[in-house]
Amino acid sequence: MLHELPLVIFTIFAQMSVGSFVALGIIQLLGHRVPHATMEKVTRPALYAIGPLLVLGLAASTMHLGSPLRAPNAILHWNSSWLSREILLGMAFLGLGAAFAVTEWFKLFNYRLRQVLAAVTAVVGLALVYAISQVYSIRTVPAWATVHTPARFFITAFLLGGLAVGAALVIAAFYRARKGDHDDEAMALLTNSVRGIALGSLLLMGAKAIGMPLYTSYLARHPDPAAQESVRILGETYGGWSIAQVLLIFAGLALLGYLLFRLSGGHAGRRLLPTIALAAFFLVLAGEVVGRMLFYASMVRSGI
Amino acid sequence: MAQLGFYFDQSRCTGCAACSIACKDKHDLPVGVSWRRIVQYTTGTWRENPDSTVTPAISTYYSSISCNHCDDAICVEVCPSTAMRKGDDGIVYVNPDVCIGCRYCEMACPYSAPQFNAELGVMTKCDLCRDRLAVGEKPACVASCPSRALDFGDIEELRATYGAEAGIEPLPDPRITQPNLVIKPHPDAQPSGQGTGHIEKMTKVS
Repeated sequence: MLHELPLVIFTIFAQMSVGSFVALGIIQLLGHRVPHATMEKVTRPALYAIGPLLVLGLAASTMHLGSPLRAPNAILHWNSSWLSREILLGMAFLGLGAAFAVTEWFKLFNYRLRQVLAAVTAVVGLALVYAISQVYSIRTVPAWATVHTPARFFITAFLLGGLAVGAALVIAAFYRARKGDHDDEAMALLTNSVRGIALGSLLLMGAKAIGMPLYTSYLARHPDPAAQESVRILGETYGGWSIAQVLLIFAGLALLGYLLFRLSGGHAGRRLLPTIALAAFFLVLAGEVVGRMLFYASMVRSGI
Repeated sequence: MAQLGFYFDQSRCTGCAACSIACKDKHDLPVGVSWRRIVQYTTGTWRENPDSTVTPAISTYYSSISCNHCDDAICVEVCPSTAMRKGDDGIVYVNPDVCIGCRYCEMACPYSAPQFNAELGVMTKCDLCRDRLAVGEKPACVASCPSRALDFGDIEELRATYGAEAGIEPLPDPRITQPNLVIKPHPDAQPSGQGTGHIEKMTKVS
């Protein structure tokens, strides 16, 4: 289960950073009537957390090369290999994201131009998530070469990205409140954002809960013996892990429901918010890590 | 230049692994790397007799496989560095100066042809003994086979002589990568994807 750990870390972190960036973008779009200063105060800490996350992920992905010093060669076959495209898009997303962070920090150019830059970064990020899914959709691996792979990767991106942003927003607000900075407008934006993220995450987890049995039945009906072997690995060899993944998803669902309940509970109910938001994020992250390890473990190739 | 390929007479193969050893010796391969492998596939069922007794009907056969230098080579397609190439002679080979050792080709190939050399940090695979071909000799595996079960040559000529069969269990469906391989099946051989047996043994001379 652990031998593909660098790839588990890379794919999860890359997807999470794309999801976070998109989640922040959606908050900006939906909150366009909120004053810029408020918006920045609430969302900025989360924005600057994305970069290091992705750098860490990319660094982890070079750990599994036989000749790491030749890593630059990995982009040469961009016109045929999804692995080359994944690396190119990963670097483009990182570069654009860094450029956006720098222009935001120093207030370079005008607000519109920075928005355009952010939009381009988000689109490149989504293309990156798709490219990662295509790297694994190789036609000789029936467990991977299905539409479930991109669906799953996009769900991971938005789920973890959204929850990471939610947790970051709540924690940043908590520290502002401790320093005595009470801003009702910021609080309202925060509440709406966290509520939206929690609801969106519940929907995504619902999609996940529907997708999992569909995937299993797809694989079980697949004519290739390699698919049957994948089913056996997921259900028998790592059956305990599969159950753990489902339990973590349900725990995350329950906690998100509780978070929404607390949010509607007025001021007194909110003291626990940072704890709940963080716990929900880590539960779902744990579930996603187990799910990704199972994804790699289920790899059985056709033939010999 | 014509596309080269292998011919394998499964009905003659005894699974002795002389081909695998000759390959290992010729290319001086390290422990764990085996460019030619022999898969033993075993099937078995019961045959019901008219007098209601049953007789076991079991069979086992071998497939000696290196690289089939496929027309639709998935290793070449997925390689991110362009190190995996298909030459004018149709031989699929690795350029060791370009390969980054990501092992993605190893993950994709349904014949387990590309293999990682940990000492060199790059992928390696069967190159059809190009150096031997250049001086008019046969590939080491073909030359070593005591049953004369292996041959090589222009794939069109091989197909004209022996037919176009390449889909024998446990090998993958040939539509996946279009292998340049012709098999004369064992009498009890089963078609790819419709096997009722299992892989008994994978001989990798290490």
